[in-house]
Amino acid sequence: MYGFDSGLDLQPVSPGTSVVITGPAMSGLTELTLRLLACGDREGLIVLSTDDPADEVIANYERRDGRFDHGRMAVVDCGKARETTSEDGNVRSVTSPTDLTGLGIQFTSLYEELYRGGIDAVRVGVLSVSSLLLYAKEFRNVYRFLHTMTGRIRSADGLGVFALDPSSHDDRAVQSIVQTFDARIELRETDGGREFRVRGLAEQPEDWRSYEPVAPG
Amino acid sequence: MADITLLYVAPGAGDAGSGGGVPDALRRAADLEVRVAGALSAARDQFDGAIDCVVTAYELPDGTGIDLLAHVRETAPDCPCVLYDDVDPGTIDTGDVEGEIIEYIPRGSGDGERLASVVRDLVANRMQVAYPLPHDEDERLTALARYDPDDLSVTEAFDRLADLAVEHFGGRVAFVGLVDEREERFVACQGTDWERLDRQDTICTHTILEEDLMVVENVQEDPRFASAERLVELDIRSYAGATLTTPAGQTIGTFCLVDDEPRAYSERERTYLRLLADEAAEQLELRRRLVEAERGTESGRTESETEGGREGES
Repeated sequence: MYGFDSGLDLQPVSPGTSVVITGPAMSGLTELTLRLLACGDREGLIVLSTDDPADEVIANYERRDGRFDHGRMAVVDCGKARETTSEDGNVRSVTSPTDLTGLGIQFTSLYEELYRGGIDAVRVGVLSVSSLLLYAKEFRNVYRFLHTMTGRIRSADGLGVFALDPSSHDDRAVQSIVQTFDARIELRETDGGREFRVRGLAEQPEDWRSYEPVAPG
Repeated sequence: MADITLLYVAPGAGDAGSGGGVPDALRRAADLEVRVAGALSAARDQFDGAIDCVVTAYELPDGTGIDLLAHVRETAPDCPCVLYDDVDPGTIDTGDVEGEIIEYIPRGSGDGERLASVVRDLVANRMQVAYPLPHDEDERLTALARYDPDDLSVTEAFDRLADLAVEHFGGRVAFVGLVDEREERFVACQGTDWERLDRQDTICTHTILEEDLMVVENVQEDPRFASAERLVELDIRSYAGATLTTPAGQTIGTFCLVDDEPRAYSERERTYLRLLADEAAEQLELRRRLVEAERGTESGRTESETEGGREGES
């Protein structure tokens, strides 16, 4: 089972699950996504970042979870020349978020490396699905990309956490994309802070729950 | 008989004396039938509707695995593809196909057991399709098979219903479509002569996830379909589709209206479309019962003839 930090009123979820977090990008979407990606000592991590450079993602992650262990953690970002940018090969880039082919190749090759390294529990994050939708030449390519990721996560007993800001997209597109995932966590900002609720996961609170952000973002 | 037919593409694959270059785990597996090609051109020639999965090296004598990916997506878009190589993923030129998806499995020094496992997952879980799948997709396809879709085009009742729809709505096209594993087949079609479409090119593959019906007033303004070239080619600018549901609750197809200009559908029109869809679903159910009754009679006759024969022998 994949557990979460005690500041979130969330029960552990089953291996193979992919969750989409929907909420305003400027109101803690990245923060909550990274908190759900906080790994146990023996888990692996792969983050695909469409907007922020890898070093920023790593800094954000470390602000919440401590050390980014290059032996079992990896980031793929977008917007640089396609090349390996770290000595251990676990920080990689593709040229742009439109290059779903490159993103898919990097994601699956990193997953295979973790698998071969004996790490059989892997958390996968996508920051964010919104950018994939905005930049994709064809909407259906995003489906294929998400199916590949959620399919791999399911068959390899991983955990997927995907961020999506619905305000950037047509409602029909959002409803359709959300169907790709096993469950949805909705995030909202209130006068008193931030709240989330869960849809589609057994034994989780379905009512709105408030939580304290651990860092800006 | 093998469950999965695989096309394995690598330089030298198929050469005599090298075991074809095919990893041992693929050759050993009883559930895999492996066809081989040593070059891009040979792979293109061999690729047909019987192939369930393509595994390719990146560098080929006359092109790359990415070129083959482009061919596969044009020919059989749902077919999963795997790059099986040790090339640095960062050096792979995704060129003109940078929206398409291919998995990467490092070749390494293993016997291909991991590759075989990934291939089985890709095929069984339909992991590279470009449209949403109903959560009960396997059960849905099982239900559809019971309605004998290969032979349904002979049923004139569907033609009459589609005819009625065109008359009533004054639209361009009305059709009854069954959404199969990889394509939608039109068992009745008034206003044009469509027979089948790749599932990823249809709006109906989205409609079957709806409980009742789906209307797209302007296809060009709906982000799910605006970039779909095939819909433009077919001049589909507006769409209304109601689900065809079996008595057990499985959605196996749709009754649809399409037009070459944007249009809205009133509540009354939607109700009428629902009625037509319900009638088509009832016809499907009646036909299924008839076919099964005939099969039962034939099977009963065969059994009694066999038994009669045995009695005669004794």
